[in-house]
Amino acid sequence: MSATAIVHRLRILGFRGLKEFDWRPKQGMNVILGGGDMGKTTVLDALALLFSPTNSATVAETDYWQRETDTEFVIEATVSLPESSGIEGQRRMAFPWHWNGKEAVQPVSKDGEPVEPDVPVYVIRVRGTTDLEPSWEVAQPDGTADHLTVSVRRQIGLVRLSSDERNDRDLRLVYGSALDRLVADSSFRARIGRAVAKVPLTKELNADSVKALEDLNEKMDKNSLPTGLTLGLTSGQGPSIGSLIGLLAMHQGKEIPLSSWGAGTRRMAALEIAAATAGNASLTTIDEIERGLEPYRLRKLLGILEETKGQVFVTTHSAVAIECVGKKGHLWYLDSKGHIGYLPAAKIAAQQRREPETFLAKFAAVGEGKTEVGLLSFVLRKAFNGNPLDEGVRVCDGQGNDAVLDLLETLADAHIEFAGLVDDERTSPGRWKKLKENMGDRLLQWPSAASEGAVIEAIPDDKLEELIRNDDEGLTGIRLRHLADRVGLQPKDMASIKAALAKQDKTLKKLIIEAATGSTAGAPEEEAAAWKKHGQQWFKRDGGGEELGSKMIALGAWPSLKDKLLPLINAILTAVGRQPITGLPT
Amino acid sequence: MSDDDVAHLLRSDETLVIIEAPAGCGKTFQGASYAKDVAATLERGRLLVLAHTHAACGEFRKRTQGASNRVEVKTVASLATEIVSVYHKALDVPPHAETWAWKDNGEGFNEIAQKCADLLTRHPMIGRALVCRYPVVICDEHQDCTPHQHAILMALHRGGAKLRIFGDPLQRIFSGTSPKVARVDAERWESLKAEGKHATLEVPHRWKQGGSLELGEWILQARAALLNNQPVVVPAKRPAGLQVIVADNRGQARKQFALDAAHRKTVDAVMLRDEMLVLTSSNILVDALSAYTNRRIGIWEGHTREMLGILVEALQAANGNAEAVASALVAFVSGVGTGFSMSSHGNRLLQEIKEGCCKTTKGKPACIQEMAKLILAEPSHVGAARALKLLGGYIANKIAGFDAIKIDYRSEFGDALRLESFATPEDGLSELARRRAHFWRALPPRVVSTIHKAKGLECPHAMLIPCDKSFADTAYGRCRLYVALSRASNSLTLVVPSFGGSPLLKLE
Repeated sequence: MSATAIVHRLRILGFRGLKEFDWRPKQGMNVILGGGDMGKTTVLDALALLFSPTNSATVAETDYWQRETDTEFVIEATVSLPESSGIEGQRRMAFPWHWNGKEAVQPVSKDGEPVEPDVPVYVIRVRGTTDLEPSWEVAQPDGTADHLTVSVRRQIGLVRLSSDERNDRDLRLVYGSALDRLVADSSFRARIGRAVAKVPLTKELNADSVKALEDLNEKMDKNSLPTGLTLGLTSGQGPSIGSLIGLLAMHQGKEIPLSSWGAGTRRMAALEIAAATAGNASLTTIDEIERGLEPYRLRKLLGILEETKGQVFVTTHSAVAIECVGKKGHLWYLDSKGHIGYLPAAKIAAQQRREPETFLAKFAAVGEGKTEVGLLSFVLRKAFNGNPLDEGVRVCDGQGNDAVLDLLETLADAHIEFAGLVDDERTSPGRWKKLKENMGDRLLQWPSAASEGAVIEAIPDDKLEELIRNDDEGLTGIRLRHLADRVGLQPKDMASIKAALAKQDKTLKKLIIEAATGSTAGAPEEEAAAWKKHGQQWFKRDGGGEELGSKMIALGAWPSLKDKLLPLINAILTAVGRQPITGLPT
Repeated sequence: MSDDDVAHLLRSDETLVIIEAPAGCGKTFQGASYAKDVAATLERGRLLVLAHTHAACGEFRKRTQGASNRVEVKTVASLATEIVSVYHKALDVPPHAETWAWKDNGEGFNEIAQKCADLLTRHPMIGRALVCRYPVVICDEHQDCTPHQHAILMALHRGGAKLRIFGDPLQRIFSGTSPKVARVDAERWESLKAEGKHATLEVPHRWKQGGSLELGEWILQARAALLNNQPVVVPAKRPAGLQVIVADNRGQARKQFALDAAHRKTVDAVMLRDEMLVLTSSNILVDALSAYTNRRIGIWEGHTREMLGILVEALQAANGNAEAVASALVAFVSGVGTGFSMSSHGNRLLQEIKEGCCKTTKGKPACIQEMAKLILAEPSHVGAARALKLLGGYIANKIAGFDAIKIDYRSEFGDALRLESFATPEDGLSELARRRAHFWRALPPRVVSTIHKAKGLECPHAMLIPCDKSFADTAYGRCRLYVALSRASNSLTLVVPSFGGSPLLKLE
């Protein structure tokens, strides 16, 4: 038996928007990222239903995938349970499975094999039956299933902070709430009931009301109905007496229900109650952890959660939250296909710090540098006929060839759908090749070139002077200066540059590509550093990629680049459910 | 050790307590009252009582009523079957391990116990999970544990269970007749005693409460003698309740029991009184003795159904062949009763089946033809059960040609009729066995039983007949004699042959 309840695997079939979901969360804190409507909250709701502390949880038609109530939904978890869960008290003995790191299996070892240490786990599930009833089960290793009692679920004690604005369940004495588990006095409600029953309520009534009651009593008597009428506490359907009891705290000398404090305080208080409960064996789910919390309190809360012994499931839309998930937290990305992938901190740390929004998009397209980011943004804006971010597609800066390779590999390993646009710097060809095989059209690596090179190469020679020109930002002169320096000229007029190029038997196009990519080939030693920075005045700057993109169209390079770029664009379009296009709208 | 000391030791914090429990010395009382106390104080989980016979399970359930939601009583075999069934995929056993185990008249249970012991040894997590549910385990009649069953018990102990073992090495009659195995079992008992704390129950309660205390004390002396490999002395001055009749079986055939007129009168006077348990050494003698009394003494069938097992196996093998079904039926009826054999009815039944029941007949052949029709209509356990039901009706109504048939094993015959309602005969066999496990049948007023089936029973009066050489001077013989001697609380009658009596008895 383990010290706390741990979910090793969570499978969801046909629950709300998740058709098939299979996840092996880590111990400790799990932070689920992803764009909107991907099902992050559904995952937390699934856990909440599975560990529901009551049998009165209801299931709605909308809980079934595509509202198909003819097909059952299943939420199934493979869990380690603490002794306090009381799983041993099931009517029929619940037998453990062995956790092999991937799934729950039968403990098998044949004669002669050494005895392996087992990791005992239980497989528990809730099914939404075709009668719209939830049915909780524990799966036995022989394939049969027994009812999973509500007391086991209550003992496991999932603490759930939903994003619902009015949620204060754990601050009240509701069955299975954090406060209920903290107080742990099973006969308390009955005693309150008895105490309240002794309060002579009728005495508090005003005279008219007392009279009305007496009149009623008389009438009842005449009709041989029960008499001796008085007011008192009755129990029945609806809220229990426990739900009327909650934590109070002093505020400016008065006792105020904790539930009327701000959302952030309520949530932090609920977590404190859960943490103070004996055993602290519970699982915690927090939807939109940033809700109601200022960044400094959010940082503090994440820090606390990382240190708790129990397993925590968090969703967030907050870049601040992603940024401060420390070494002990685990980041997961839920993609638009309901696939969840692990983002190892070491591999994505740089990107996470620099551009946390990469992991909050529905779909991220990673450009190697500023040129690629701008170029992609430009073509996608055209392809989407608007801002792609409106549909959750975010273009991110991967900051360099090696960093992008690491990032894309990590995402590919996690089977997460991302796109990439990168140069070919002739490094790690094997890794790029493998990545390309994995990503298909979603990755465009310019063959033997940088983006600048590929695009400029496609621009007709007679349009090159227009390519250089950028008077709006005052870059025309600077660029001519770069070209002149590179052919060793003092004057920077086009005619002189062309003449010098003719002598050196070099094309203007080649010279422009060298300047735009910051090539240092042939540079005098003292100028190499300066030459390297040339690119920043061409397209390797904010807005530079967009300039390159618009000139690609305007100067007629698109037709010859179309075959390269269109598959990437269409891969991105289809990933977010758009129709593919055959050309860029003009 | 006094009863109070034993009770105290049971309730101590010792993890392993061994109680040597001679018959009738309040073992079940001690065990059940301990069980009730534990059930009332257990913080979590339940108490598990492991017995061997369904009779013992029934007794424990009866005595722990009220605490039943905290006490689970089952046989060691059913615990092993439950565990093996759950992990059947890993253990290469069919899903319904119990059904499978009934093969070869229950031989599969030993294999199951072995697989279970192996599983628990290799995967301690299962033992620990069991101990979470059953933090305290009582084992009854430990002497009847096979080595694998003992290993299961010790795996639970290793998993952290508090173990309370009751046993009596002198009541070890189910573990075979081999002296070698007997020696191993004796050593096992001694080493258990050395490993934990042990005590012996010494007060003959069965005889103190309304029985013959003198008889009880003599039985304890007999036990001491048998334990020391000495013969049991029957003193010239017989203790109150002990009676010896010298009489020889004059039966001509092996399956016959007969006495001459003089002895018959003496023996019958005792044998036919109420609350009498007649004990004998073999199934053949049980049948013979029942016949000897003209069935005024019924047969105690216990919880075993040997012929039913054979019938089920034959039906399974018949696989739709009507002739094979009919042969299985004939073998079954001749096994559970008399007056129905191949020559008396079977040949005709087979002939009807071969010919397709085409002849017009009357009387007995017509009745047989009706049975054949049922088998032909459904040549399976269903048809067989329906034909048996029809046969049962003929016998009950004394139809000519069937009036000489006597069913001795009525429960077994009844169980065969119930096979009809199951999908397969094997399902039926295991389900009926399961039902028997939860069903407690009181002893009829007069009954004859083998010693094996009478183990665990008690009765005011018992007769052991005949006390002959079958009680040999071996460990097994001594155990069997002791079990027989210790059943009755008020009177025990030993019927001894004039020659060739048991070497274990020394008559003064």
